[in-house]
Amino acid sequence: MKKSRIVYGAWLLLSIGLYFFENNTGTRVVLLCAVLFPFIPPLRSVLLPRKETGGPEPRKAATVRGFLRTETEEPGDIRPWVPGDPVQRIHWKLSAKKDELLIRMGTPETEPIAETEEIPFSAGRREKRPVNLPAVLSAAGILLCALLLALVPAARQGFQELCNRLFAASEAVNAYSYRYFSVPENPDLFPAVCLLCCMGMLLAVWAAISRGPLPALGILAACTLGQVYFGLAFPAWILIPLYGLLAARMLIRPADRKALTAFCTLLLLLTTLTALLFPGTDAATEAASEKARDRLSRITEEITGILREAPEGETETRHIHPRSLENGEENAETALEFRLVTVEEEKIAMPHSVRWLKIILLLLLTAAAAILPFAPFMWLNARKRKAREARKAFESDNAGTAVQAIFRQVILWLEAMKQGAGNLLYRDWTERLPAGLPENYPERFARCAADCEEAVYSNHGITEEQRREALALLKDTESAMWKAANRRQRFYLKYWMGLAE
Amino acid sequence: MRPELEKILQETEKVIAGKREVIRKILTALLAEGHILLDDVPGVGKTTLAVALTRAVGLSFRRVQFTPDVLPSDLTGFSMVDKNSGEFVYRPGLLKGVNLLLGDEINRASSKTQSALLEAMEERQVTVDGKTYPLESPFLVIATENSVGTAGTQMLPYAQMDRFLVRLSLGYPDYEAQMAMLRDRQGANPIDTVKQVLTREELCGLQLGVRTVTSREPVLDYITRLTLASRKHEALEVGISPRGALFLDRMAKARAFLEGRDYVTGGDVQEVFADVCAHRVLLKENAKETSVGQVLEELLKKTENPDRRALFSGHRKL
Repeated sequence: MKKSRIVYGAWLLLSIGLYFFENNTGTRVVLLCAVLFPFIPPLRSVLLPRKETGGPEPRKAATVRGFLRTETEEPGDIRPWVPGDPVQRIHWKLSAKKDELLIRMGTPETEPIAETEEIPFSAGRREKRPVNLPAVLSAAGILLCALLLALVPAARQGFQELCNRLFAASEAVNAYSYRYFSVPENPDLFPAVCLLCCMGMLLAVWAAISRGPLPALGILAACTLGQVYFGLAFPAWILIPLYGLLAARMLIRPADRKALTAFCTLLLLLTTLTALLFPGTDAATEAASEKARDRLSRITEEITGILREAPEGETETRHIHPRSLENGEENAETALEFRLVTVEEEKIAMPHSVRWLKIILLLLLTAAAAILPFAPFMWLNARKRKAREARKAFESDNAGTAVQAIFRQVILWLEAMKQGAGNLLYRDWTERLPAGLPENYPERFARCAADCEEAVYSNHGITEEQRREALALLKDTESAMWKAANRRQRFYLKYWMGLAE
Repeated sequence: MRPELEKILQETEKVIAGKREVIRKILTALLAEGHILLDDVPGVGKTTLAVALTRAVGLSFRRVQFTPDVLPSDLTGFSMVDKNSGEFVYRPGLLKGVNLLLGDEINRASSKTQSALLEAMEERQVTVDGKTYPLESPFLVIATENSVGTAGTQMLPYAQMDRFLVRLSLGYPDYEAQMAMLRDRQGANPIDTVKQVLTREELCGLQLGVRTVTSREPVLDYITRLTLASRKHEALEVGISPRGALFLDRMAKARAFLEGRDYVTGGDVQEVFADVCAHRVLLKENAKETSVGQVLEELLKKTENPDRRALFSGHRKL
């Protein structure tokens, strides 16, 4: 595992831990920063240099001619010695016999030799890596600014004032939200839930279609802003996996820099604007916000209370006698100890237990809910990517491979349209080709099949002319089949097979 | 098809019409240096065909009618005391100087004679009194069998059948072919018009050429899968032997060569499969309602063909 990732993981864990201890606005911001960290360009370029440069890994680059193994060479193979090969690998016995220096290809015993000689190369390589000067400078600048912000009194006071204003803004929003959220006692939840679900689905669609990082960032921003400004805090067990998922997604699929810069700038702008628009707090706002908080916390309690406890309403009385359970008989001393215990009291008396099963189930459900809407799109994308890769082989340097790939595509088209002839040799397919194809299609198909046979079975090279012919055949097949397909088949061709773009 | 072989075909066709496919197969076997088991009724032109073929290629030909009293020494030759010198002198047998031997009713010969012939077929040499005498090259045996159950026959053991490269059948001519044959023979015998189009040496060169044909991994894989499948088939008592697999490869190579290719395709294997393997498998007692031909066809149908496998292995399938 890469060191930078370990550092990042540690930071993330630390901030999550902090979140557990103190769930306030400041911690949330820290957490947000932790999640966003790999995407703040200057920081990333310093702390995650390999990710940023994407250059060859040092180990791989260090391989010199002697250690470079091509795919055809396997352990135990013998090949002539070339300058640069380690002397230890020379097969003396065989070399004496053949009157030519031969070496054994790498066997596990000889591997350490390669290892020791490799070190200086990799070290030399690492030194040569150019330092990303602007990135380092900007990071240093950020650090300096932060230091000045903390140390210079004037700046510090200004910063505190800004923070106060932010807080006031948050209060004001809370107050507004209280007015907004004042609703009759028994509102109909159904339309809202439906609309929210629709929104979620649409968001999922959007996330799947756009390959960029924007959706993930959007969700993240919504969550964080919702928390910071509305106090709409989800319970920690929802938030932490959510952050984890988002962070993981971003680590796996790094966002492109433009979008990130835009996002960060937006966040900064929003913060500045709110700080400027709400210069201070007044008593009315404060009071309103207090009310709003009460209301919100009550709602939160209601929600979480339902999840945590059995439905209320039935207060059942039970006679409990501690000894009667053991002996099954009553005696005079203990008879007096009968008393009435309500469910509430019993609950208090019971040791507090953590319902791990429920928590794990909920976590799993959350994960599933986060993944499921994306799953079909991920699957579709995977198929599309595969198809695209298959098409990449058409331009392969080796015309034989290319002809095979092209012909494979032709066969896939025919089979997708149920025009294949199954386990028949391809040159015999010509007799079963459907009507509606161009006039000389069967002959061309046969020729291409023969070319493909040549590529598969012979040691001949395939000419560019043959590749062009195959490509033309594929084009004709595509157009003819697409024309012949009905809507359902086209859907199948496009999304299931990934044949048509 | 190679022009020189096409010429042989044309010459041979002068005497035996409408049997192009069989002649082709015989030519293929000749190129593959294998022997042929003919499964035929009398009078369909086996000898005529063989004579025409030998004339077209300039080979020497001999026909041996096997009977129970043909001895191994009749084939291989024997040593006898020369009266004048008092030494043993080798007297060559029927196999001496023969390129194409037509052995009629081979299953009427005694087991001893059969094994002597089969040894000669396999080794292309005969050993008499510890001395080895090589046979002519090329050496091709076309053997015919009497139908099973006829009196006085020694069934060819299964292990010896395995030594024949292919089992073919000429079959009766159709209407057109027979009319043509009758018409041709009104005047002179058309066998006299067959010209030599190839020398023996050239044929040997072509046989060498067959050996240069490449069978790449997909083809070998296909042959192996076919033979393995035949050994597991529920209707077969005995599947295709490893020798069968070797012969399949060799015959496929010869066919590819005949087609003018220097590589074997899956089609070659499929084409020669039935001919090479039909006499190598044994049906089970309880599977008599199917025929060997059906079973082999089923094997070809069920086994994934190499075209497909080569194209789709490692890639997504439907």
